[in-house]
Amino acid sequence: MSDAAESTGNGTASGSLMGARQPQIAGARLVQGQAVFAADVSLSGMLHASILRSPVPHARIGRIDADAARRAPGVEYVLTGAEAAQLSDPIPHYLDPAPIGGKHADVRCLAVDTVVYAGQPVAVVAASSPNEAKAAAELIEVDYQPLPHVLDAQAALAPDAPRLYDGWDDNVVLSFGQKAGDVEAAFEQAEHVISGSVSVQRSAASPLEPRAYVASWNAASGRLTLYAATQNPHTLREMLARSLRLRESDVRIITPSLGGAFGSKMPSHPEETLIPLLARLAGAPVRWVEDRRESLLVGGREQVHQFEVAADGDGRVRAIRNDIVGSTGAVASLPGWAMVLMAALAMPCGYNVQDCEITYTAVATNKAPWNAQRGFGKEAANLVMERIMDAVARQLELDPAEVRRRNLVGADAFPYTTATGFVLDSGDYDAVLSDALELFGYEDERRRQRAAREQGRHLGIGVAFEVMPEGGAIPGVGGGFDSATVRINPSGQVTVLTGVTSPGGGNDTALAQIVADELGAELGEIEVVQGDTDVCPFGFGNGTGRSVVTGGSAAALAARDLRERLVSVAAVMLEADVGDLVARGGKVVVAQEPERAVALGDVARSVVTLSHLTAMGVEPSLEASRVYRAPHVNHIPDEQGRMNPYPTYGNAAYAALVEVDIETGTVTPVRVAVCHDCGTVVNPLLVDGQIQGGIVMGLGVALGEEVAYGADGVPAVTTFAEYLMPRAADVPEILITHRETPSPYTLLGTKGAGEAGLAGAQAAIVSAVEDAIAPLGGRVTELPLRPPAVLDAMDRRAT
Amino acid sequence: MSQQVQIRLRVNGDAHEVAADARTLLVDLIRDELGLTGTHVGCRTGHCGACTVVLDGRVSKSCTVLAAAADGAEVTTIEGLAADGVLHPVQEALWQEHGVQCGFCTPGMVLAAAELLAENRSPVDDEIRRAIAGNLCRCTGYENIVNAIRRASAS
Repeated sequence: MSDAAESTGNGTASGSLMGARQPQIAGARLVQGQAVFAADVSLSGMLHASILRSPVPHARIGRIDADAARRAPGVEYVLTGAEAAQLSDPIPHYLDPAPIGGKHADVRCLAVDTVVYAGQPVAVVAASSPNEAKAAAELIEVDYQPLPHVLDAQAALAPDAPRLYDGWDDNVVLSFGQKAGDVEAAFEQAEHVISGSVSVQRSAASPLEPRAYVASWNAASGRLTLYAATQNPHTLREMLARSLRLRESDVRIITPSLGGAFGSKMPSHPEETLIPLLARLAGAPVRWVEDRRESLLVGGREQVHQFEVAADGDGRVRAIRNDIVGSTGAVASLPGWAMVLMAALAMPCGYNVQDCEITYTAVATNKAPWNAQRGFGKEAANLVMERIMDAVARQLELDPAEVRRRNLVGADAFPYTTATGFVLDSGDYDAVLSDALELFGYEDERRRQRAAREQGRHLGIGVAFEVMPEGGAIPGVGGGFDSATVRINPSGQVTVLTGVTSPGGGNDTALAQIVADELGAELGEIEVVQGDTDVCPFGFGNGTGRSVVTGGSAAALAARDLRERLVSVAAVMLEADVGDLVARGGKVVVAQEPERAVALGDVARSVVTLSHLTAMGVEPSLEASRVYRAPHVNHIPDEQGRMNPYPTYGNAAYAALVEVDIETGTVTPVRVAVCHDCGTVVNPLLVDGQIQGGIVMGLGVALGEEVAYGADGVPAVTTFAEYLMPRAADVPEILITHRETPSPYTLLGTKGAGEAGLAGAQAAIVSAVEDAIAPLGGRVTELPLRPPAVLDAMDRRAT
Repeated sequence: MSQQVQIRLRVNGDAHEVAADARTLLVDLIRDELGLTGTHVGCRTGHCGACTVVLDGRVSKSCTVLAAAADGAEVTTIEGLAADGVLHPVQEALWQEHGVQCGFCTPGMVLAAAELLAENRSPVDDEIRRAIAGNLCRCTGYENIVNAIRRASAS
């Protein structure tokens, strides 16, 4: 009997749900369209907002004439930047570059005297219907006095480039360099020095659900309630208290179901301040729903890497130099710009290269701001490392998989401190690579590739290794811990209140599984409450693959505390020793005499109704609250100023097969195989779902997705007709296998898996395309690999 | 100036008569006038399929239809699919196969897949992928959606 073996502690739980392929607990609601998203929230007397946005990338704002809009049918309020600036403060930065050596710019909910990107909010209308609000917004006349604009980061770095911000002496947001080891010596002694570059396009996270906010003020209490499509309600609460000049305790953020986020719903967007302000002025609740054009404004990823690598004759990489320049658009209060920083810090990923010199520059340009996108720059680090491995393999005429194998951090080297100070926790990278290659059928596919080439077909095989630092804890920002309260009522239902939120991946289900196991409750009795700052304990929401590692562990600890209390009461009720009891299946049971049992709900009822009899040994409480702070984070800089901000490092190897039509440049992805290690897997259904979604997003950014701008500084991509996300028929076969190397540090052995898939798939697909066109001398340096870019790449002969 | 029009239609079997702004799209009438918020808005350009409903027997993107043009029509939304609390096989399979993550595209996906299975009891994967090609999903990578539809076809 497995329970007996586990009943070593005080009434341990059964553990049957860990690792179960458990479908989402919210699944029935989701498939019936019953989930409530922010745009579904409808309040009595609610008005609708429409935002007038700048049509030009850079201009001084002269006169604004809103008289016609104010007289338009249904209009209740028209707000412009001057009035908004009197009534609200700049929005606090999620991560201000200034304290870490960069530059600060104030960000307001509406532009005041200058616009710095096309799409910047200039005015907003509240009206009885969305149509009336939109029609009225179009009646507002704004006198834009154009200023020169700059879209390209390199151009923005020129001494005579237009400046975005008064008082800045250039357009650099933050520039930094990091050097470890003896890079010069390594390059001097190297048998091979290879250089290259890779340029990544601007893309959009583009969740299917656009952002939406519904703001409501309680006239009596003066409190604001904001229903917000946000990933981080507690963080947003503090930011809005400051921008709206409120007591933080007077702000309640409620996040209903989120329809995907992928970073784009991290705070704080201008509309999160703007819509509450408008609601206060209009004297009624206001709803604003982003449209797709607005959603596609939120950018990211656009960066150029120039690398140089020193390698031995056997393919061992001795040293790397990499210079990263990111075009981060206009300054925002959002975390996105820091993806350039993280691209640098995440190098050299899973490869054992201690001599590194990495510089990065985040450059402000007259494009819409960045927000976080899945990968948060770590995908770019992985991409450039894989470009480096391919460059070495090509130069030395070695098998690309073998070059990776020779450079990966060894299984006996953990914990392994990278050149940038990240401390890789655990894993067996070599075995992960081997498993991926076997799943893919690497040797067979190489044979088929050779045979196909003789028939004039151009198959390409790409290999990539992904290390994804997850669960981040950033000094001055937070993270690295989360909170949970687990409650039971006398009817036996269990409520989990958590500081983590779900963007749609199903972490509520994982938390329910963990709590069911720890408490010995039935899964069906567990409800998970997320995203309400009045109800849930303080937490950092979702992002950086943190939810199960931190929130899941906090829930486990709280459930354990509650279980211990309930079991000790049950011991009195059953007249048994605590050590003989187990909690399982909704009951506390004498392990060796299963007929002696009491339902958890009955124990709970006894706690509150017989507190002076059965519960004398415990606090008569039906809830427990705990915080879990992830270990294996170091915020004390070492002698080189390095820190380890991530508790876990999930890792994976990918192999991809594509076919390239060399006449048209069309790439057809055929197969992606992955072996993934995120430590203990709570729910393989959910983890595989994350990986599959990540892989397809990686496919999209490798092959099609791009937010292009015209020379006029206006986005040329405003709908899904131009923003080409993969559709069902574009997706190749996806094969997944796992290796479980539990984290030796985290409570449950879990490592974050939230951002899995994207980095490795993007890098492997790029590698595969280059492999297909390499016999023609092709070299990939620019993404995305749409047909014209592939044809260009074939013309770009290897040097 | 906005012009009001009278629109009569049946939605999930119930007759409705609604006075609406002539500019109103069918999706907005369904969501705002009838309160059926399972029909979602992802793009308003007909590309994403989150607003998919069944209009006079055919799946249609309700953001591309003026409400006035649906006068006299028979509409089924996601709320009308499960009969007496029993999930449609496509709904059940999407849930069990984890073909649903955030659930935003799901109502449209369900209706597109249900139409496919009504016409083709045993579609091959290519047919499944073509049938949902008008419905974008950003979470799942489609793999589990295809698995779910295959499973539903076998049930």
